[in-house]
Amino acid sequence: MRRSVLGVVLLLGGVFLPVFAQDAYASISLEKCTLCHGKPEFRKLLVDGQIRDLYVTGDTLAGSVHAKKVCTECHFDVSEIPHRERPKRVICTHCHFKGNREGAPQSDNVIAYFDSAHGLAIARGNAKAPLCQDCHGSHTILKAKDPGSKVARANVAETCGRCHMEIYAQFKGSIHGAALGKGIAEVPSCTGCHGEHKIYAHDDPKSTIYTTHVSEQCSKCHASVKIMGKFGIETEQVATYQKSFHGVAGKFGSRTVANCSSCHGVHDIRPQDDPLSTVNPKNVPKTCGKCHPGANPNFAVGKIHVDAKNRESGIIYWTATFFKWLTIGTMLALVAHIFLDMYGRTRRLRGER
Amino acid sequence: MSRADLAAGNVIRMSLLFRVQHLLLTVLLTVLAITGFALMYHENSLAQWIIRLEGGVHNRGIVHRVAAVLLMANLVYHAFYMLLSREGKPELRQFFIGRQDIDDFLQSLRYNLGMAKEYPRFGKYGYKEKFQYWGASVGIVLISVTGIMLWAEEFSMQFFPKFILDLALVIHGYQGLLGFVLLYLWHIYNVHLHPSVFPMNPSWITGKVSAEWLRREHPLEYEKLKEEGLL
Repeated sequence: MRRSVLGVVLLLGGVFLPVFAQDAYASISLEKCTLCHGKPEFRKLLVDGQIRDLYVTGDTLAGSVHAKKVCTECHFDVSEIPHRERPKRVICTHCHFKGNREGAPQSDNVIAYFDSAHGLAIARGNAKAPLCQDCHGSHTILKAKDPGSKVARANVAETCGRCHMEIYAQFKGSIHGAALGKGIAEVPSCTGCHGEHKIYAHDDPKSTIYTTHVSEQCSKCHASVKIMGKFGIETEQVATYQKSFHGVAGKFGSRTVANCSSCHGVHDIRPQDDPLSTVNPKNVPKTCGKCHPGANPNFAVGKIHVDAKNRESGIIYWTATFFKWLTIGTMLALVAHIFLDMYGRTRRLRGER
Repeated sequence: MSRADLAAGNVIRMSLLFRVQHLLLTVLLTVLAITGFALMYHENSLAQWIIRLEGGVHNRGIVHRVAAVLLMANLVYHAFYMLLSREGKPELRQFFIGRQDIDDFLQSLRYNLGMAKEYPRFGKYGYKEKFQYWGASVGIVLISVTGIMLWAEEFSMQFFPKFILDLALVIHGYQGLLGFVLLYLWHIYNVHLHPSVFPMNPSWITGKVSAEWLRREHPLEYEKLKEEGLL
């Protein structure tokens, strides 16, 4: 009896031992690290005078997707404690590669990143260019869908803004930034226009915001009655632009022609009635003047996105309608005249015979 | 009219200068229509093919403008020729629209409907020719003015607000369409498909028509030439 109990205990021990052992290893590892890093005053004075906080506790990873990881699983270059050198930046692809045994999620995003403007900057040796952790966070990595994530829609602008400060300031003042601040879910943050991992420089033809792609990118939302209807914004701008000289030239490959952002701005897009808006009637001469030297207030007189088939276009609609019926009427009159003429002629020929 | 022409029963209807002007008009209007409608209907795949053939929108614009300048030059030359030259002045006088033309039109309608016995008797130019001539002239002036406004948009907008240019664009496009319709329905019928001339009135190439045709279609002109002893 005793033996069998012992056997069970041993058997159970045999099953659970590795788990206990791993736990023990984890706690030891954490304990070891937090010997130093667990002290709140543990920080380092950097060369440039900044203070780097190095405080890490056992709870640092709690709640993140890496809650079950231990320090050395990412900081794998730390082999002795205390470590003599500063650990290298964490390399996420250590686990996040296709076919990894950890079961770490992997998509082609990593590959896409290396081709992006950020990845290329890293490859060129720019130490300030962002790696995965710079956007996704270091210890508190959350799923993108989690509203607390640094790459969640509401937070991503701030995340990008940590490096792109001026642009972030412009964006915050824009109609998109303001709406984002109000928690409107449809509004684009940085990634809405630039893409997430496939972020390219604006002069790279692959970029979603390359001059020939801009109108397409804006129209993803601005041509949608479903989205725009919520905010009482017209969707005809997209169609009227496409029919305009600007739109047609752009469609046939002109690189110099105005696209949406040429007039409305890029990060500082504001509603027309805002005095700071590039399309405010007061600013229109300057905005058009970028391409049309000598543009004057006349450029702002009349609807810019004008649709001749829309009754609201006033005199333009009525002129177009007049010409339409004049043409139809003329055609009918001429056809009638031609048939009458042929009919009369046949009779005349018969009479002559 | 040479003796040979008279012997063959031919009458000169278009002098060489008029034929050159007419040929220029034909070629230029065709080029303008092709390049213009390609832009107007750029969503159509045939239009896109034409634009590519012309070397893109930019080159299309250049072709369109070169043809337009030549057309306007042709029009200006024609206007001066009609107003000042010895050949033009009497021609222009014959193109004036008068009371007679309205009567002719109404009478031809009545005749065609079987309400009158006599078909109107035309001079050198009947109401059809006059309508065509003035229609084309006014149309070309209108389309030239709007075209120049759009071409020199930075200059025009020193004087006109943007909506006037939008209006010019609408007029330019629709005027082109209207002109095209007139040309194809009316002119092609009158000079190609009309039973009296089918397959075509040769005068735009040879300048000549037969005296017999003139007697049937323009009897007053025929009688006038006869009185003058030219036939």
